[in-house]
Amino acid sequence: MDFGLSPRQQAFQDMVREFAEKEVAPRAPAVDTEACFPAQTIRMMGELGLMGVVIPEEYGGAGADTICYVIAIEEISRACASTGVIMSINNSMVCDLIYTFGNEEQKRRFLIPLARGEKLGCFCLSEPDAGSDAGNLRATALADGDHFVLNGVKNFITNGKEADVAIVFATVDRRLKHKGISAFVVEKGTPGFQVLKEEDKLGIRGTSTCQFLFEDCRIPHANLLGDIGEGFRIAMVSLDGGRIGIAAQAVGIARAALEASLRYAQGRVQFGRPIAAFQAIQFLLADMATRVDAARLLTYRAASLRDCGAPCAKEGSMAKLSASEVAMWVSTKAIQIYGGYGYITDYPVQRHFRDAKVTEIYEGTSEIQRLVIAGHLLG
Amino acid sequence: MRIVVCVKQIIDPELAASQFKIDPAFKRQRPNGHPLVISPYDENALEVALKLREKTGGTVAVLSAGEPSAISALRKGLAMGADEAALISDPALDGSDAFGLAAALARGIQKLGTPDLVLCGCESGDWADRTVGPILAEALKIACVSFVAQVDAQDGRLRMRRVVEEGYEIWEGAPPLLLTILSHESNVPRYPKVKDIMTASRRSIPTWSVADLGVETGGMGEAAIRTEVEQLTLPSRESRCELLDGEPSQQVATLITKLRERKAI
Repeated sequence: MDFGLSPRQQAFQDMVREFAEKEVAPRAPAVDTEACFPAQTIRMMGELGLMGVVIPEEYGGAGADTICYVIAIEEISRACASTGVIMSINNSMVCDLIYTFGNEEQKRRFLIPLARGEKLGCFCLSEPDAGSDAGNLRATALADGDHFVLNGVKNFITNGKEADVAIVFATVDRRLKHKGISAFVVEKGTPGFQVLKEEDKLGIRGTSTCQFLFEDCRIPHANLLGDIGEGFRIAMVSLDGGRIGIAAQAVGIARAALEASLRYAQGRVQFGRPIAAFQAIQFLLADMATRVDAARLLTYRAASLRDCGAPCAKEGSMAKLSASEVAMWVSTKAIQIYGGYGYITDYPVQRHFRDAKVTEIYEGTSEIQRLVIAGHLLG
Repeated sequence: MRIVVCVKQIIDPELAASQFKIDPAFKRQRPNGHPLVISPYDENALEVALKLREKTGGTVAVLSAGEPSAISALRKGLAMGADEAALISDPALDGSDAFGLAAALARGIQKLGTPDLVLCGCESGDWADRTVGPILAEALKIACVSFVAQVDAQDGRLRMRRVVEEGYEIWEGAPPLLLTILSHESNVPRYPKVKDIMTASRRSIPTWSVADLGVETGGMGEAAIRTEVEQLTLPSRESRCELLDGEPSQQVATLITKLRERKAI
């Protein structure tokens, strides 16, 4: 068993880390405080190939593996968690999905510009009354000739304001429950599709989180992703990949909080010594580093299984559960190490703390991850 | 235009000072598993080469003389856009000074094919000797222009902006030339694209021994050095706080005197 990165993965990590440190990190405080979408950074990431990391080159992607993908999400999120999740949604929840379930025409039409970063995607599953209970969707897509007519409301849509393309889940017949759910590719600007409102959030403030309204929105049959009734499976498969991405995002946030704590603890002098000289702080730092490493290893394992084509739903949930709770714990302790300075906005750890919280919620709450894991354990 | 860029792999100079350790026996930095990178000015040189190729056509090759690990530096060069790469690596080179390295690089450059232009960083990010480039030009018997910040190619000639203490000089010359490159806003190294990293990782890079180059080993290695490191120490960092007495105007005057004494202003 080799825990090291291959030379190719190492070269990839070197590039993304340098890019993140030089281009992403300096903008992160303003992206957060001004709740400003990092458009220039996302454009650069598209040019580098970071918006479709695992998509083959023929479809506009970079043709790398899932390990590279989680490396990239960790490095970018370490610099700016908002930028990390914008990238994660486009990669895991949109590009991967169209690549896996789309037909050739859909790949040419939608996937290539998304993977090149020329367009941005979003994923619309949650509704006001269907969050964790994703099988209970109310949005409908009724067949009408060669179109489907989409009606309903979608909540908490990351990238909602800027996205050009939305993957929308709706049921063709509510009586069929989850077997009626189907997935559609909907382009921004389609009549009947509007952004109702943008949420004001605690963290990841550089991303837009929107509510969408679909009102008699006519979607051509050519935009149906997969088969009618296949939507629930598509959503679950996409969440398997998405959870690995969010796990990597959480590892990145946790690492940023750990590194900030290490720097601060060595520079902050109390009682005539750097606070890192006190065992109370040393134990905290040791626990933080150990948990970050454990979360990363779980994330790499899930990514590695995905690269092998092996089932990874349980492992993805374990990675996401562990990493998100580690991010929350480590960033909380980071504020403790900073003391009063950790609580004021001049220092970065409060941003890591606010950014970490959402990783325990989106793409399946920690409670849902435990249900998924228990389901696999108990059969 | 056929361009060869010489690159050196060094321990990341951005490394925190606390992690920098010196091997007292060999008077060199301990690698200690630290990240290895292309020396920063060498990346500027590669960027200059890639921009010249975009304008005039031709090829760019990257060449390094060093440890086998330098393959990763060359792969980065390929990922940034170089057409070919080669490594000179041989235990006989260990401990070589600038003369030994320049002799090996000169033969490596000739083996790649006679170039129109050879580019080096103006100094390495570790030793900052600033000598390999000019000595290499001498070995290749071509003219050298050092500390070049900008290069433009027109009608088969090169126009170079050379930085000097008082400002800059404009030089013109026809290839073959060797230039040592400074960093400038026009040569900020590009990030390699992911797909180019993947492609570069599959490329084979030839590794040449000194024997492959047909060089006499007499001028290389530790035995042949003409310069010797007497001592290598970490600079000590001391901080001291001094409170100035008197009225504000008097404090300012004292402060200026003290800063002048320390050559801070």
